[in-house]
Amino acid sequence: MTTQPHRRRRRAVPALAAVGIVLAGSLAGLGPQVSVASSHREAPLIASDPAADNTDLYAFVSPERPGYVNLIANWIPFEEPNGGPNFYPFATDAAYNINVDSDGDAKADAVFRWTFKNIDKRGGKTFLYNNGPVTSFDDKNLLFKQTYTLESSFNGAPFKTRISDAPVAPSRIGAASMPDYQKLRDQATVQLQGGWKLFAGQADDPFFLDLRVFDLLYGGDLSETGQDTLAGYNVNSLAIQVPFKDVALRGDAKRNPVIGVWTTTDRNRVRVTGDTNPKLGRDRVQVSRLGNPLVNEVVVPANLKDAFNSISPDQDAGIPAVVKRVTDPELPKLIQGIYGVPAPKTPRNDLVEIFLTGITTKAGGPIKADLNSQLNNQDVKAKQFRPSEMLRLNLNVPVTAQPNRLGVLAGDLQGFPNGRRLTDDAVDIAVQAVEGAAQAGKLVDALAAGDKVDTNDNTFGASFPYVALPNQGAVNAGRGAGTGKGASTAKANPQAAPAGDDTSSPSLVPTSAEASSGMGSNAILVGAVVGTGTLIAVLAAWWLRRRRATPTALRRDDTVAF
Amino acid sequence: MHSPLRTVSVVSVAAVTLLAVGAVFGLRETPAPAPAPASAQAAAPDRLAETIARAQDRLRTLPRDYQTWATLGLAYVERARVTADPSLYPKAEGALRRSLQVRATDNAGALVGLGALANARHEFAAARAYATDAVRGNPYNADAYGVLADAHTQLGDAGAATAAIQRMLDLRPGLAAYARASYDLEQRGRLAEATGLMRRALAAAVDPADLAFCRNQLGDLAWFAGDLAGAEAEYAAGIAADPSYQPLLRGRARVAAATGRTDAAIADAATVAARTPTPDTLMEYAELLRLAGRTAEADRQLTLADAAHRIFVANGGRDDLTGALLALARGDTASAVKLARSEWRRRPFADVADVLGRALHAAGRDAEALPYARRAVALGPRNASYAYHLATVSLAGGDPAGARAELRRVRDLNPYFSPTDGPTAARALSALEARP
Repeated sequence: MTTQPHRRRRRAVPALAAVGIVLAGSLAGLGPQVSVASSHREAPLIASDPAADNTDLYAFVSPERPGYVNLIANWIPFEEPNGGPNFYPFATDAAYNINVDSDGDAKADAVFRWTFKNIDKRGGKTFLYNNGPVTSFDDKNLLFKQTYTLESSFNGAPFKTRISDAPVAPSRIGAASMPDYQKLRDQATVQLQGGWKLFAGQADDPFFLDLRVFDLLYGGDLSETGQDTLAGYNVNSLAIQVPFKDVALRGDAKRNPVIGVWTTTDRNRVRVTGDTNPKLGRDRVQVSRLGNPLVNEVVVPANLKDAFNSISPDQDAGIPAVVKRVTDPELPKLIQGIYGVPAPKTPRNDLVEIFLTGITTKAGGPIKADLNSQLNNQDVKAKQFRPSEMLRLNLNVPVTAQPNRLGVLAGDLQGFPNGRRLTDDAVDIAVQAVEGAAQAGKLVDALAAGDKVDTNDNTFGASFPYVALPNQGAVNAGRGAGTGKGASTAKANPQAAPAGDDTSSPSLVPTSAEASSGMGSNAILVGAVVGTGTLIAVLAAWWLRRRRATPTALRRDDTVAF
Repeated sequence: MHSPLRTVSVVSVAAVTLLAVGAVFGLRETPAPAPAPASAQAAAPDRLAETIARAQDRLRTLPRDYQTWATLGLAYVERARVTADPSLYPKAEGALRRSLQVRATDNAGALVGLGALANARHEFAAARAYATDAVRGNPYNADAYGVLADAHTQLGDAGAATAAIQRMLDLRPGLAAYARASYDLEQRGRLAEATGLMRRALAAAVDPADLAFCRNQLGDLAWFAGDLAGAEAEYAAGIAADPSYQPLLRGRARVAAATGRTDAAIADAATVAARTPTPDTLMEYAELLRLAGRTAEADRQLTLADAAHRIFVANGGRDDLTGALLALARGDTASAVKLARSEWRRRPFADVADVLGRALHAAGRDAEALPYARRAVALGPRNASYAYHLATVSLAGGDPAGARAELRRVRDLNPYFSPTDGPTAARALSALEARP
């Protein structure tokens, strides 16, 4: 060591001694610094995500408006009516889409896209939803509301705005606050100049089922049935009614009557370089997807839900098959074990047909009927067809005067799985289908009772948007807007408040009833029934050869103005 | 605290006191008093409590529902995070192991839960292993990537953490992913971008606890940039959203201390320390008490901090970083060095480098301290306290020029970084700049 440092130090010491001592002294009286937390930074892992919480999709031709088709998609299950201090906005950082594939290449030919904005007058000082009765959407007493913009794109053309700043029917919070909810519903139901009808907002959850049916997968049995688990709850609903020509291939529903429909939600892709382009660009991440009912539930054995939520239908055929039991659904074996009903032989190509291609004679499946595959569209070439999971509807099947809740399986060809009407009993149909009823051509008697929930608790409307008004009584205390069968269940409602209206405005904080990482109560919505069938369908698709889609002819947009 | 026996008895009394205090204050659900709104305000929904209650209900009748066992386990881990109650860890573990018992394969949910639990217990290597397994079983599981990202970050694998976070963003962009991406950028010193992402997370937040979390992070980000007014506004907004979220009170205390309102700071710090008695909250409280000259009380809080650490360890946690900080506070530099080194060997993370440097400096081993202090600054270039610690080491090591440069950086980054050391840093800088 040289002497220089010493010398420097000796010279420095007098001037800095005080500083040095001060510095040393403070360290003895330790305090943790801002960045050093002995608990490291812990961020939430499961967070409520209303955009990802989609529940159902319906597609059916209008009974009262010939030539028009209805597409209805719902999000956020288990919305409590005014029994809790909750209201349920759509996410404002996501796009909600209904997609239509008319040529069978598993890519969207028509996309209807909703995006939402908050109008929040609460100023961060209050969390009250309203401060007085709300008699209309524009009432100044409504402190929080949403509006939406609807865009559409046909055959890959850029999106065009059809309407912007349209009203979203608010969460229904009780008769004192909303004495005339029908008026709010009417204000949120609009007709565009081209004839399209639109609705966005809260509604009664139209799905009806006893979720305990799926307890079979977890050691339960079918002894506990008969309660509509969803009775009394609400959902957020998007509904659109368009003429056949706007969704049919080449605008010709006579030649090309079959459409495939699925709903998705997506957000901007974010790069950790910090590039967070807020504009809706091509780079989107799909956070949820739904076609046929009960698909998104947790599926045994693979975690198909996460994969399914991420990929688009045209990727279905390319998923690596990781599941050993892909062609061998668990549910029929459980049913056989408990009820002695023989499980149909595997591989289950009948389920492949129902959910992957549509019921047709042109895909080599065992169900010999031409009902709802794009392969039956005259202008579709077989080689451009690509199997994928979606809800397929034949627009030409005539409207049934007396709809049968068991749909196709009861000879009512207008019902699920040919599209899906609000009154179709998806669970019973699915249970029958997974037991081979579609292939055999007759119902399995031992399971004829299904989940013993045959209708919704509220009556549906006779015209658009058809879904019933939101319930307004607390779930435990009974039903809200309408009448119907099915008792509400207390099972999933630890927060129920006494029934009745709010007399003082509740402090309402937006929430979602579910965590939607797949870990929340969605896990209770297990649906290995149809889900397993779809699992078979989707994961078995590697058997099928890939097809490359040929581009379809461009078609002009209708000009629409509001 | 000078004889072992007395130490034991003091610590055990402290532990009992701690638990008693915790039982009365720390684990209570009701929120701290908030400014009363104009009309009656119903309690904000506690989604985690609902999830737990629902899961418990269901499992009573369906004990073979392995997915709900996993959900319950993960909910317990989340609850432990929000309430800072480590006694939930064993409950979480029980639920998660039960899930695996019912279904040993194809059970990514349970693996993710065990990974999240491992992270919470600072067992980052184990968390990495669980998350890697989960990803192998289900490559589309965003939660697994979240757990993996957290583990990689704390283990010092910055590149791997970024990759995991990007994967999470590509699967499920939303609050959990945005929050981690924001932290990733913050660690790399890109505070403006980190703030932008945290604002995105805030926009996606729905539950009050999530809103509060985002506001807290935004407050901290403003704080790191020396923006006191901004920080104060964010913390206030967070408290309005969820008055029971304790980190916001810590933030508010920090701002109060920086603006000379020591009593207000002590009041908030006391509330936090009572409700969530973890070593860091107790040490912060102790620091403020010492600043106000209440030395005996400060010492008592440090004893409680020790006890809290022991409870954490007893519940299966391992955290030599906290152990090192506590040792430093006691003046036990030998233990501080030993513990900090042990942690460094496990994970070369910025915070650990910083504490190891400080421990070595406190032990008078400045030549050894210097590389660690420098490493901390390299890993966290926008962190004022790392810069300050490097300055002290430089100064003691005979490099006043270096010290002066670092102290200037402290001033430019965030002069309020510590109520105790901030003024010291400012005085030191003046003294150094006054030299010819």
